[in-house]
Amino acid sequence: MKVYFELNGEQKYVEIKPGERLLDLLRRLGMKSVKEGCRTGECGSCTVLLDGRPVRSCLTFAAKAKGHRITTLEGLGSPEDLHPLQEAFLETGAIQCGFCTPGMILVAYHLLSHNPDPTPEEVREAISGNLCRCTGYAKIVDAVLLAAERKRKGDWR
Amino acid sequence: MAIRRYHYARDVDEALSLLLAYEGRGALLAGGVDLARGPGTDVEGLIDITAAGLGGISRDAKKGLVIGATVTLEEIRTSREARDYLGGFLTEVMRHVATLPLRCMATLGGAVVSAHPWADIPTALIALGAEVAWRNEEREERAPLEELYRRPFRAIFRRAVLTEVRLPAWGGAFAFEKVSRNAGDIALLNCACGLGVKDGKVAWARVAVGATPYRAARLTGVEELLVGESPSAELLAEAGRKAAAEAKVGDDLRASAEWRRAVIPALVRRALERAAREVKGDA
Amino acid sequence: MKVVGKSVRKVDGIPLATGQPVFTLDVDLPGAAVGKVLRSPYAHAEIVRIDTKKAEELPGVLCILHHGNVPRTPYTTAGQGWPEPSPYDTFLFDKKVRFVGDRVAAVAAISEEIADEALRLIEVEYRELPAVLDPEEATAPGAPVIHDEEDARGIHDPQRNIAAAIDIRVGDIERGFSESDVVVETTCEFPYVQHVPLEPHCVVAYLDEEDRLVIRSATQVPFHVRRIVARALGLPLSRIRVVKPRIGGGFGTKQEIILEDVAAALALRVRRPVVMKYTRAEEFTSARTRHPMKVRVKLGAKKDGRIHAIEMDVLSNTGAYGTHSLTVLSNVGSKTLPLYNKAPHLWFHGKAVYTNLPVAGAYRGYGATQGYFALEVAIDELAEKLGMDPLELRLKNHIRAGESSPIFEKIGEGREGKAQVVKSCALAECIREGAKRIGWYEKRGKHLWDGPWVHGVGMAVAMQGSGITDIDMAAATVVMNEDGTFRLLVGATDLGTGSDTILAQIAAETLGVPVEAISVYSSDTDFTPFDTGAYASSTTYVSGGAVLRAAREVKRRILEVGAAILGDPPEDLDLAESYVVSKKTGKRVPLSEVGHRAMYVTDQKHIIATASFVAPESPPPFAAFFAEVAVDTETGIVRVVRFVGVADCGTPINPALAEGQLEGAIVQGIGHTLYEEMLISSRGGVRNPSLFDYRIPTAADVPEIEAVLIPTDEPTGPYGAKSIGEIGINGPAPAIANAIYDAVGVRLYRIPFTPERVLRALRTRS
Repeated sequence: MKVYFELNGEQKYVEIKPGERLLDLLRRLGMKSVKEGCRTGECGSCTVLLDGRPVRSCLTFAAKAKGHRITTLEGLGSPEDLHPLQEAFLETGAIQCGFCTPGMILVAYHLLSHNPDPTPEEVREAISGNLCRCTGYAKIVDAVLLAAERKRKGDWR
Repeated sequence: MAIRRYHYARDVDEALSLLLAYEGRGALLAGGVDLARGPGTDVEGLIDITAAGLGGISRDAKKGLVIGATVTLEEIRTSREARDYLGGFLTEVMRHVATLPLRCMATLGGAVVSAHPWADIPTALIALGAEVAWRNEEREERAPLEELYRRPFRAIFRRAVLTEVRLPAWGGAFAFEKVSRNAGDIALLNCACGLGVKDGKVAWARVAVGATPYRAARLTGVEELLVGESPSAELLAEAGRKAAAEAKVGDDLRASAEWRRAVIPALVRRALERAAREVKGDA
Repeated sequence: MKVVGKSVRKVDGIPLATGQPVFTLDVDLPGAAVGKVLRSPYAHAEIVRIDTKKAEELPGVLCILHHGNVPRTPYTTAGQGWPEPSPYDTFLFDKKVRFVGDRVAAVAAISEEIADEALRLIEVEYRELPAVLDPEEATAPGAPVIHDEEDARGIHDPQRNIAAAIDIRVGDIERGFSESDVVVETTCEFPYVQHVPLEPHCVVAYLDEEDRLVIRSATQVPFHVRRIVARALGLPLSRIRVVKPRIGGGFGTKQEIILEDVAAALALRVRRPVVMKYTRAEEFTSARTRHPMKVRVKLGAKKDGRIHAIEMDVLSNTGAYGTHSLTVLSNVGSKTLPLYNKAPHLWFHGKAVYTNLPVAGAYRGYGATQGYFALEVAIDELAEKLGMDPLELRLKNHIRAGESSPIFEKIGEGREGKAQVVKSCALAECIREGAKRIGWYEKRGKHLWDGPWVHGVGMAVAMQGSGITDIDMAAATVVMNEDGTFRLLVGATDLGTGSDTILAQIAAETLGVPVEAISVYSSDTDFTPFDTGAYASSTTYVSGGAVLRAAREVKRRILEVGAAILGDPPEDLDLAESYVVSKKTGKRVPLSEVGHRAMYVTDQKHIIATASFVAPESPPPFAAFFAEVAVDTETGIVRVVRFVGVADCGTPINPALAEGQLEGAIVQGIGHTLYEEMLISSRGGVRNPSLFDYRIPTAADVPEIEAVLIPTDEPTGPYGAKSIGEIGINGPAPAIANAIYDAVGVRLYRIPFTPERVLRALRTRS
């Protein structure tokens, strides 16, 4: 079957298999920021935004993308043009191995788009569905709080 | 998995016709979480009901709540309707369920039909006396969830579409308690308790305990114990003890029957205490 | 210092922050086949018959490997230096399976679906054998022999299922206890726990244009992969190239060669790229775990608190294979006993036994973690019996700079060690700082109630090492570009730890350039010099030592050219701000001019140097850990309210990265202390092989970890540095156990401290 959807602002019309997972489709389309860590929805490495809301792409059928807007980390910023959240993650040392980073940044993006002034507890709660085994989370929380502060000062997109 | 077709149902009629046409080899999906986690090997056709008109949360005439089957748990958690219903009881319940990205996918209908014994939502809905509605070949049917779970409900939903969940209005307060190993984990035990107080006495009580590790059940003996009495600390503690005696408990990977029996008193008492405090706050 | 000591951004940060395709599986190779492994459903069985005909007839199946069609060479999956101290008890495929999840056969097919279907079509007839499912029963007379194969080597006592054993005595232990005024004895148990890197094991193997085998692998030990795969497959080492791209966490589990050998064998057979990855379930059943252990500690002390005798007795369960069995066992004692170096009488003994259970291996902390759990709980008990503050007891007994321990000489890496004097130690300061931050004196023994919750505080201390003395060797190459920038080629293996960054900082500091002037390449056995790899807390100290030497040599050569330009003798010159500068006259010349001249103009040469560094000793980092917990007395739930870790890792080359190591290790430790445990069925299988059922800490579970560094100057380390990668995981279990005791007065000796165990302990007491 073929479906239309929007991927990082670009229109896509692609052939998919009816049982295919969004994770596999996105990686097949070159979105390698979408990581497979468990395939059962627990780890969060495959998190993407569907119409702005974080979902597990491993548990989402690719067909569900039809007519919707998918954002992966590639859609947020690039090496030449970092998103403020990416800047903040780099600045605070929130990235160790980087495997959880794409999902973390996307849930943080979702949080800050609803709550520009979160408490540390709210940040922890919001990212608690995304596992990180390297950092102990402390610097990730710092990064999100730093990005929030900058967002409130207008540094955002 | 041998999924051959993916359909986008435009309304309930279409969803139902497709489901019936597959004769058991089709599956409805909205969030698709459970289906994607462990699809039945016999499923050939997926029927997406996300756009079948089953979204939406509204208050009914009696100040109850009507929630469409494909409303996501996160939509409920962030809705004004849920915040305004019973002092935000549902909002609080949803906060305990899984994690944000899963709540953005999973739907209330999915939670009702999957009916995992460890799940939090059936416990809350049973305590609330939720009624669910579904459409089958012949007609629209409805039943209290508690009653539905005593019937072969999985067979029913192989040939029916769950359409909505109705929550009655209550003049009182509910509280939810959950013990889990860590954030985002399923419950080792959960309970939902509600109390109505009139003239200083308990007018009605609702007590449901789940993840025992069996699916939630109301503890009517505990409810009877409470009604007509003054909601004192001693009474609520006694209710907790009685709950432990009345609930059916067992072992699973996460905890033993022994631990569950030991913890139910505190959990039920805590929920009742919070409900009682809130009722008093109302008065 | 200009660059060292600064929290510069990770040099590989931008690709990671933007999700660039930098991990092992992020490359798509045309025509790649998928490899999958058929795994044993039995804990112990003989393969009587294996029939692959039906599977081979399935269209799309390219190749099936099993014991009947591969070379049989014993080897170890432990990625350690050569000769490996682990027994050669593993084969590519064997006629016998030794645990649920052991390899039976492997398939290469054109798609994952076909590979899975092929696995189902392989017919295997097993003859089930009696299994050893309890380490206590492994050595019993008549117990089934797990490694009865004749060609295995290096097993301590195969007939009794003993993979490794150790027995070290210092002084006279019996006298030690009889001379002690107070004696305590404690046994602590560590269950099966796992690393859970977010990226599962994965590999891509293919033949290049010259028919050489390229293995792109998520590994901590590329050079050991090359050597061990060469051995297992009977290939010349020179035909293999191992490439390590960015790695999604390792923590020791990627110090094991458990996938590269199969992928390589398949790629050689089918002559096209083969992609293999573990599922998360396979990670639990068939990767590696921490060695489950029972550690008994007996302490004797004088009335004034001087520890006089320590006995440590270890039963380690290595599972079905003996990978890291001897060295992890050795480390239980070698990384713990020197901490209390005043005790003249020591006895450290134990064994690592085979069972038909999941295979243990290297995991951050490497035995020390299990040892400290028992030792530091025992110290808490000793303090109580002596009527002393446990903090004071530790201050009184711990090793100081300028002191030594006979253990350093007695226990090495699977052999004798080497005498060593501790040259830097700020443990006393760490203890005092931690006590201040947690509010030790305000909270200890106060049992503060908050509804049904009671609070308590507890502490533990620990040390680790920095690399393996006289064994770990790293080399580095520094290459000058003509524009005055540099390339740093290291075999050191950044697996998310930030080692590329700190190695660049060491080079930049030495060469007087900003860190941006250094581009790091790690690691590729064809293009980077040798490094033992990322384990044993070695990278900063050992690989950093190599980088420092190589950079110094390049600096010397630059100064020679600079001397020719400036007309000053080299000894008057130095490097600063990308210039050669005369310390006498202030005259200077930019590095770009030096580079262009050297490469193109006069007396042309490429300024380039390679240097090696062997750990001359293993300076221990030290740390003090303080936990404040709250215990729900009605449910048994334990929450960590605050956790403070204060560490002396020498000079932190990059404080943010060093803190990150400490924070991450502490949270992993909180994980095994409160939540994590692989549950084993009565038939030997893992009952919870998923992240749904095996819970690791989330951001909502842990408090803000206060990770504090107290710098010291380690004279043998690069710019004064020691290690930080492992030590943090040693603290949480004992500190939390001791805090629970402070809160509610019950001692817990087995982790994880589940609500079930805590509540049972509370009820049993009352």
